[in-house]
Parts: sequence; structure tokens; C-alpha cells
Amino acid sequence: MTAPTAITNMTQDIKKPGVKRREFLKVLGLSTTAIAATACSEDAGHLIPYLVSPDQTVPGVSTYYASTCRECSAACGLIVETRDGRAIKIEGNPDHPLNHGALCARGQSALQGLYNPDRFRMPMVNEGGTWKAITWEDALNRLSAGLASAKTSGKAGGTVFMNQHESGTFPRFLDTWLGSLGMPAHLSVDFEADSAAIEANQRSYGVAWPFLSFKDADLIVSFSADFLDGWGANVPQQLDFADARAKLGDAPAFVYVGPRRSLTGLNADSWIACKPGGELVVANALLGKGSVDQAVTDAGLDPKNAAALKKLATLVAASKHILAVSGVRGDNALDVALAAAELNKAHGAVGTTIKPAQPLLGFEGIAHTDQVLAAVEKMRSGAVGVAFVRGVNPAHALPKAANFADAFSKVGFKVSFTSFPDETSELCDLIIPDLHSLESWGDAEPIRGTIGLMQPTMDPVFKTNSRITVMAPSTADVLIQVAKKDAATAPKFPAADYRSMLIAAFPGGAAGLDAALPKGIVAGNLPNRAPRAAAPGKSTAGAMGTGDLTLITYVSPLLGDGRGANKPWLQELPDPVTKICWSTWVEIHPETAVRLGIDRGDILEVKTAAGSVKAPAFPYLGVHKDTIAIPIGQGHRSKGATPTFNPMHQDKNQVQWGYGRYSRNLGVNVLDLIPVGTDAGGGLILTATKASVTKTGDHETLPSTEGSARQHGRGIAQAINVEDLNRPAGGDEKAEESLPGDASHAFLPGLRSPVAADAQGDFGAPTAENHGKDKGLYDPNDIRGMAKRRWAMTVDLARCTGCSACVTACNAENNIPTVGAYWQNATIWADQVPGRNIARGREMNWIRLERYFEGNPDAKFGEDFEARFIPMMCQHCGNAPCEPVCPVYATYHSPDGLNVQVYNRCVGTRYCSNNCPYKVRYFNWFGYGEEGRKQYAFPEPLNWQLNPDVTVRGKGVMEKCSFCVQRIREAENRAALEHRDVQPDEFTVACAQGCPSRAITFGDAADPNWTVAQQIGDKRAYHVFEELNTYTAVVYLKKVNHLASAVTAPRA
Amino acid sequence: MTKRRKWTAIPGLLALAAGAVMLSAYSGASTSQKSSPVQPIAFPHPVHVQKLGMNCLYCHNAANKSMDPGLPAVSTCIGCHNLIGPDRPASDLGPARKSAELAKLYKFADVAGVGAGMGPNAKPIPWVRIHKVPEYVHFPHTRHVNAGVTCQTCHGQIQKMDRVYQFASLNMGWCVSCHVNGYSAKEGLEAAGYETVPGSTPAAQGAATPAAVPAADRKKARYDCANCHY
Repeated sequence: MTAPTAITNMTQDIKKPGVKRREFLKVLGLSTTAIAATACSEDAGHLIPYLVSPDQTVPGVSTYYASTCRECSAACGLIVETRDGRAIKIEGNPDHPLNHGALCARGQSALQGLYNPDRFRMPMVNEGGTWKAITWEDALNRLSAGLASAKTSGKAGGTVFMNQHESGTFPRFLDTWLGSLGMPAHLSVDFEADSAAIEANQRSYGVAWPFLSFKDADLIVSFSADFLDGWGANVPQQLDFADARAKLGDAPAFVYVGPRRSLTGLNADSWIACKPGGELVVANALLGKGSVDQAVTDAGLDPKNAAALKKLATLVAASKHILAVSGVRGDNALDVALAAAELNKAHGAVGTTIKPAQPLLGFEGIAHTDQVLAAVEKMRSGAVGVAFVRGVNPAHALPKAANFADAFSKVGFKVSFTSFPDETSELCDLIIPDLHSLESWGDAEPIRGTIGLMQPTMDPVFKTNSRITVMAPSTADVLIQVAKKDAATAPKFPAADYRSMLIAAFPGGAAGLDAALPKGIVAGNLPNRAPRAAAPGKSTAGAMGTGDLTLITYVSPLLGDGRGANKPWLQELPDPVTKICWSTWVEIHPETAVRLGIDRGDILEVKTAAGSVKAPAFPYLGVHKDTIAIPIGQGHRSKGATPTFNPMHQDKNQVQWGYGRYSRNLGVNVLDLIPVGTDAGGGLILTATKASVTKTGDHETLPSTEGSARQHGRGIAQAINVEDLNRPAGGDEKAEESLPGDASHAFLPGLRSPVAADAQGDFGAPTAENHGKDKGLYDPNDIRGMAKRRWAMTVDLARCTGCSACVTACNAENNIPTVGAYWQNATIWADQVPGRNIARGREMNWIRLERYFEGNPDAKFGEDFEARFIPMMCQHCGNAPCEPVCPVYATYHSPDGLNVQVYNRCVGTRYCSNNCPYKVRYFNWFGYGEEGRKQYAFPEPLNWQLNPDVTVRGKGVMEKCSFCVQRIREAENRAALEHRDVQPDEFTVACAQGCPSRAITFGDAADPNWTVAQQIGDKRAYHVFEELNTYTAVVYLKKVNHLASAVTAPRA
Repeated sequence: MTKRRKWTAIPGLLALAAGAVMLSAYSGASTSQKSSPVQPIAFPHPVHVQKLGMNCLYCHNAANKSMDPGLPAVSTCIGCHNLIGPDRPASDLGPARKSAELAKLYKFADVAGVGAGMGPNAKPIPWVRIHKVPEYVHFPHTRHVNAGVTCQTCHGQIQKMDRVYQFASLNMGWCVSCHVNGYSAKEGLEAAGYETVPGSTPAAQGAATPAAVPAADRKKARYDCANCHY
């Protein structure tokens, strides 16, 4: 049909009934669109080449930079993996003397500080209450002008500079800079630091923080020192503690004395639950300065605890190398810390378990909170002309009673060098954002004799402007540039920038630095820091109020003093003790809760003399019955009205005051309840406030990943008493349950054989018959060699402390979305409750830390109980229940022993998850990985952190632990290119790599040269739910209990 | 057929056609196969590869060591074209002329003239991507190149393409058929356009069938899902 004919036909047809031309055209249009939509190829986009290819990088191949962590004062070593110019993962530096390759969750989350979407992009100025972005040049001019006017007004001597505490050259440089302007030295502030412990260390051992050697101790006693929760140097302490526990039969017993059983407390063999401050009586009794019986009453112990305390007294008396640590934060903090030091000296600790010769220099020079409070009062008096803050957030981390905002408002010119829109920056006049530590040069002193180096791992995320050749400067560079503007100060700063300054001071200059950078550390010492100001020596406890309960506030192991709250990984990571995330909670003993008629999730109003807050209740066995406990870290608020935030239409210029979208208006700041008072060591008193609790009548479902706190006899996390360790294995089969030394190991032959056996339904050792021909890739003799390997994992529960760093490592490696922000809830029932997805059981962490309580079934105060931690990830069953129920073969067993999930096959029936006995499969209920959806978890530039080797999953897809298959394939690719086999222990998976306890081992169980193949034969080895015949590839090694306490059911 | 009936039938036929197209998406036919977008600069592979004999790895320098084959940096082009400017004298490549494409390159690279380096306003060339596998597929170029698979096996005889097009379908069935049936060096060379038997004429594009080389001589690869999908 030719076109003119068609037109004639149409004109004739138009008057007739039936399908009209117009309708036809409509249908035609629709069908063409349909065809176009299916037939048209997807736009593959553009390929943008480099202008000039950078040296030493290959596109698609990672480059690694050594650097130093700045997330706490310890200064661990980092290896930052970068791909095509972007940092994508942070791991510990294996050569570093502090962390030996391990890294805690906070250190790994530094990546989300770097890529935080709420970072300041430009300098900002507050003009009459409205914030305006300005150029760098303008910002520097304003800073110079402010300094000049302070000088002319004669107020330069009153200047306050609060810097987030760090070691290295920068503090000294900062003091030189301040001095050149006639300003006093800066305050090196760390609100997490335990001033009393540092003061006691200083007095007893002459250093701020000696190296603590847990593995050399024969007894560990902690007086509320939470050395696994972030008290002191988290990673080295944890490594050493795990090493101590790995000695199994020879491991030291660990007794925790304190009102709240923190993560550290839960790792103890015995808990002596004294009232807050009662640690002193106990310590004195152990020193022989009082009777044990008297201590039971004076320390507020339950009479049932008396036996435990007596046992401790005998252990202490017999101890030759004790390690006693105190982290008390009450008004007698310094006394307890000194008593602990006395215990150490009396029992041969100094030089063996406490090593003052190896001080951790990261803790030198931290200002007392007392000094910070004095500075605040100085501001209030009007004597301060200029105030600077850098990285530290006193408006949030000081008690509300200190009224920081009021004092700060009296300062003429307030400058913030902070990168994030926190509460203190909001009170400032000028914001000159600092570079992130992963973007800047620097150094640190982790331990005496070693200098840790910090180097940029990538170009700044937020460049000032593509047309400006100068990159955004670091604070140090800003200070140098400002100094150069003034003829009086310029001669003191001859170097062009901070980097050149460091090079000039570095032994060997630029060449020396170049040689040292690959390792990230260099032997040597920096000049000593100015000594810390003398401690006040007596406590200035204010009125602690009245109330029938004592409020314990503690530094969150994840969010710290609040600085971690803007990182979604840390918000999403369940608290190791309570398993609650995205929230604040009130821990209350179940006995007290019953007395007051409080249920889990009831919203309580907690009142003290200083104020009141409302938060949900969490009945917890591990707090003294006369106390309640609330963590510090949440409760970030904007000063003014909450800025509008729409995840679908982000305005990049809209500053998200209140510490960014991920932390604003979450939970409460418990420091609102604390009166201002400092202990004799100069630290803030955190555990002495009296409080009363009332029910408000409201209730909420806690966003918790805890299914049940009890195992109900399922034998998930198993333990063995130390006495049973040496029982001969392989005894009476029937007595297996009661003789934990006799694990049957029925799974071993199957796990040691190549995968073909159990995946093909042949369990047990391979025989001539089942050693399959015609099984393709599943034939162990196949030339492609896939079935030769059997990837497997062991988790040593004797080492695992439950710290959850593995969870963050997994999140980072596998592009796991966080799902707890309030805008990630369902669209239809658009409740704005943070953590609602998690409350509904829709969390996504591929590996989770389960925490179970054993003993004390009636939750009575005074009866001891035991906590068991067990990392739970896909068990990669040889006989997997998920596989046969998948209607589309999206999950199946690979020849090398992996239970594979193929995302592009998955249609989302969720049958597999339903059939999984371990509950380790996670479903993408929403498009967390799809840009343009409300629930998108990686708003620009957070998506820069994504690992290019792992698919970002879309909506409606099931996902789960893959045993880091991308790392397996990468190792295989590398080996193939080098014409060799993958070598034993050549690589490991992300969780095992990051684990600060070295609890996880990964490898090939079929090759006896891998560590994992040796460990699966351990007598402590067991499978979770072995009775289900799942033939898992994950083998757990039982926890070892050292003090046979009330809790000795071996397999409960 | 009355006219009225015809107007009713045509949409039905069109719907059938649409259905057929949708089904064809599952039939192994690739929608982007043969696609040949216009590039910002009409880069002549034949001149560089066939006439000048440049190795593929000179420009795609990561193909043997990375997942990603790598794309030449603009400076790589200018490395040679610094001296080979838009004004082309007569040579065995043709009569004297002015090359519009090299003029474009000079504009992108902000090169003032022959002998001058790249200027401050140099911009990367926005090449239009042709070959793309979905994000859930991890294709390591390095394994294939180092196993001796010729580039042309998958990309076709690029050295003869005036404008590059997508030679293979890049469908999973296409990948798997090679992994299962195996690859032979002989076919790879033939695909690349080389003579494998002296004196014989090179086989036509895509003419080699798996049966041409005995199964025992073919190098087989893993075809497990988790080799590529993770």
C-alpha cells in the first residue's frame, strides 16, 4: 500500500462507525512505543578517557595507600584501597605496630565521613543569621580580618582554639601558629578520653597510656574499664585480649566489676555488679584495705554475689601477673584508678602486663574536660575575642547544663574548621571546612619509636571549582596562608604548604618520605608534647540531685561521643550489647522494670536535676538494679527549625544542620540530664546523677536485630568449660550433649572432601563410585579445577568479642545498603520513624553478631549470667535447604562449595529465605540500590564508596553472604595470570580481614595446607544445627568459659 | 476485506509484532548487536592497526592486566599526533589533504599546532560506548587476553572497521557456548583474519563452527554462574 492510497482510505473511512482513524493512530502510537521500549538498545553511555594517564595506576585495578586513622586518639595504621582515583575500602595496615592489620567499625567507617553527603562543600559565612557560601579567597580574607581585629582590640590573649585531639606534628604546628599571633596554646579535646585513667597512669607509670598486655596476665580485673568498647586504644586492646583468650586452658580469667555490663563486661567470666562508685570498695577489699564481707554491703552487691567476690579475692591473692584496669567515670574515678594501679604494682604487673616502656603516645596531651569547662566560662565572661573549633563538637558533647551555646555567643568572632554541619559549627560566624584525613597530609605517633604517616588517598571529594587549579586546602594550609598574609607572621612560616613543612622536618626529606610512605610507618620519635596540665586533684561534683535510681551514661562503642552518628554504617550497626540501632534507649534491670510495670519499648521519661528526656525502655540483665543506663552519641539537633530534606530532590546547597541527615533528630542526647561536675582527674562525671523514671504511656517497637535473647536449647552459640578441654575426644557418642569435649565431627569427611560429594548428595568421604565422572565442573578431576576447592570458614568463639567490626567490613566490601533512615520506610505507610525497616525485620547486614544470654533464667539481680556472641552469616551448606525451593535456580551450589545467589536470575519469591534455618538471607524490599528511589542508600557522593567488583542489588532481589566470591575470583585470576595455583592463606574475606580479634579464618578446607583445614578438626569444632544435615561450610569453635559460674550448661 | 475490518486488524497485527520483538529478546538475538554509533572523532582503526601495524595493547593498555581494557588517554593520542597534524602530505595513506578528524582531536586536546603540547583547556574525548555487559556481569579482559583469545573473537575484525560496531551479541548464551564448547587458537586466528594454513584464504567472519576443531583440542572454560555473576 502506497502512502497516497492510505490517505484516501482514511478520508473515506472517517465517517464510518468502527475503529476511527484517530483511534487507530492512538493504538499505533502505543504499539510503536511498546516496540521501541523493547527493541531499542539501552544507551551504553560514554567512555571518558583520562587526559593524561596517572602513573602507577591501571584502570580497574586497585591501588593501595598507607595512612593513619583519625577516628579516635589511638592512631591505627590504615591501608586504603582506591580504584580509579576513589577510595573504596579501608583496612588495617598489617605492618603497623598498633593494629597489625585489624580495624574497628569506626575506623572502617571513616569512608563515610569522607563521602558524607552533608559535608560542607565550600566555606560558609553567617551574615545576620543566614548562611552563605563564599569563595576560599573571601574566607581567608575574613579570617585574616577577624584575627587583625582581635589583635587591635587586645583580646588575642584570650583566644580559645579547641582541636579534636590528635598526635603528631599538627598540634605543635598549631601552637606555633597561635603563638605567632600572641594567642595561647590550643586545647586538645577528646570527650571520649578517660581523664582519671590517664591521670592515674601518669602518676603510677609516668605515661598517659602504657601498652596493656592481656596475654601476659594470669588474671584480668576490670573496674568498669570498657577496653573492648572504645576505652583507650580499642583495636590493640582487642587483639591482645583475643590472643589472651586463645590460650584456652592457660588463658587468664577475666572478672568485671561495675554497675553496667558493657560489651567488655559481657566478655568477662564473672560479673560483680556493684553500684556506681562501689568499685572503690571492691578494689580496696582486694588490696586488703577492708573486709570482703563489708565490701559486699558497701558496694551495693547482692548477697548472692558475695561468693563471686570471695572467689575474686582468692584469685587476686594468687595472681602473679595481674592486669587491673579502671574506667570508672564517677566522682571517685581517680581513687579507683589509683587503687587499680596499686593492685597492679602489688601483683607484678608493671613491665609484664603493663608496659610503660611502650606508651601509646596518642593519649598524651589530652586536655581535661575541666579545662574545657574553664574555657567555656572564660567565653561567658566576655574575655574571648576569637574562638576556633576544629573537629570537636562541644555544643553536643558537653552537658546542656554547661550552657555552651550561651557562652559561645559572647565570643566576638567564632570560626569552625569542622567538615560537618554539627551543632557547634551552626553557632559559628565563619566555617572553613577542613579536608578529611583521607585527603590530607599528616603524621601521628601511635606508639613510642614509631611515626605513623598520613597521606592523601585521593583528590578532595569536593573541589572548590574545576577552573581553579588550587585544590581545597586543609586547615593547616589555611593557617599557613593566613600567616603569610601578615608581614609579622610570614617569616615564621617559610614553607609553601603543610606538606612541604612536613617534608622539611622529615628525616631524609622528600626522598625519605617517599621511601616511608608505602609502609605508612617509619621508626623515629617526634619531639615530646608539652606536658598535660595538672589534674584538679579533687572532684567538683555538683548537686547530683535526688531520685531512686542512678543514671549511668556511657560513651557509645560505635558512635563515640557523638562524632560517629552521621555515618549510616555506624547507625545501622546494632549496638553490640543491646542490638538496637538508629535510636537511644534506656537500659533498666528487668527486676526494676517489673517493679515499675515497664515493658520493653515503653517510652520512659527520665528526670534528673538537670533536665528530662524521653526514650524507650530496654530491660537488660546487665545493669545494677538501682541504676538505669543510657548511651551518649545520639540526639543531634539543629539550633533552628529542622532544614527541609527531601531524598528525591536533594538541594546540594541546603546545609543539613544538626549533624547531617543521618543523625539529626535521632534519639536523645543523654548529656541533657547530666549536671556539670568533674572528677579529681578532670573528667566529666558520668555515672553519679540521681534520676527518676516514669512511664509516659507511649510505646514503640525497638529497632533491634535481636530475635530472642535466649537460645532455647538450640545450641547455636556453644561453650565449653575450661576443665572439659582436656577430656579425651571421641568418647561415648551418646554422651555428646553432656561431654562437650567429645564433638562428633560427623561433618568432617564431607567438608574435607571436594564439594562434589555433598552437593551431589553423596555425604562422607569420596569413594571411587561417587568421585564423579560426567559431573562436568563438579568432577574434582576436571581440568578447570573448580571442584578441587572447598571454600570454608571457621569462627573461633573463644576469640570473638562481639565487637561487630566484621559487620562493617562486610557492609563496605559488599555494597550492602543501610535501610534504617526514616525516608527509607515504605512509601504507602510513610511513617517517619527511623529504623522502622529494622523493627520490621528487614535489616540487610549479611553477617550479624548474635548475642545470647545463658543462665539466670528468671532475670534475678545478683545471679550471674553469661553472654555468648556468634557471628552468623550464610553457612554455605553442602546440603542447603534454600536451593531446592528456588523456582528459578537463582540459588544453587557451586563446584567450589559456595551457595551462590544469582541476582539476575532471582525473581523475589523469598521461598529460599523462608526455608533457611539460619535466617541469613536478606531481601531488597525497596530499591535501596537504585538511584532515583526514595529509599536509595547511596546518595551522591556516598555512592563513590561502592565496590566496583560487586553488583549493587535492585529492588525485589534476595541477597546474602557470598563468601566474598569477588575476592576468591580475584585471587584465582591473579594466580592464573602468574601461572600458579592459589596459595594457602593467600587471601581472605572481608570480615576475617577486619576482625580485631582474629576470630574468623577463611580458606580451602579440602587442601590441608590452609589454616582453615587444620582448624576444622579442632575438638571444639561444631556446626550450628548439625542435626538438620545441612553440612555447612562454616565451622564454629566453642567458646571457653574459665570460671565455672552459675552458667555451665554446655550446649544450651 | 472491508476497510472497517482492516482498521481493526492492523493494531492486532502490530501487537503481534510487538510480542514477537519481545520474545526475540529471549531468543538470543541481541538488541544492540551491530549498533554502530557515530563517534565524536571518526577514529580509523584500519589505518592504525592494518596500515601502521599498531598492537591493540598500545592504546588499550590494561586489557591484559585488568578487568577493564582501558581507553587511551588523550595524551596517548597526542604522543604521536603531536607530530602528525591535520595537514597531511601525500603518502601511501592517500593524497595530500586536511584531516577534519585530526583537527577535532587538536581541538579536544587544546593543541595549538604541530609540535605544541596539550593546552590547559584540554578536554577528554567523550567516546560513545558500544560494548557493555550489564552491571551484574563481571567480565575480566585479562583472563581472556592471557588465555590467548584474540580480540577479534569477540569484537570482530576491528582492524577492518571504518566505524566500530558491536560484532557479537554479548548475550549469555554466546558467552557460555564458548566456555562450554571451548576455544581453539586456530579459530581465534581465523576470526582475527589470519591465515592458519599457509596459502589458504582466511575464513569468513564468524564462519568457524565449533565442530571445525576436535573437542579435545579446544580450551574449555568454567561456566559456573558464580564465575561471572556476583
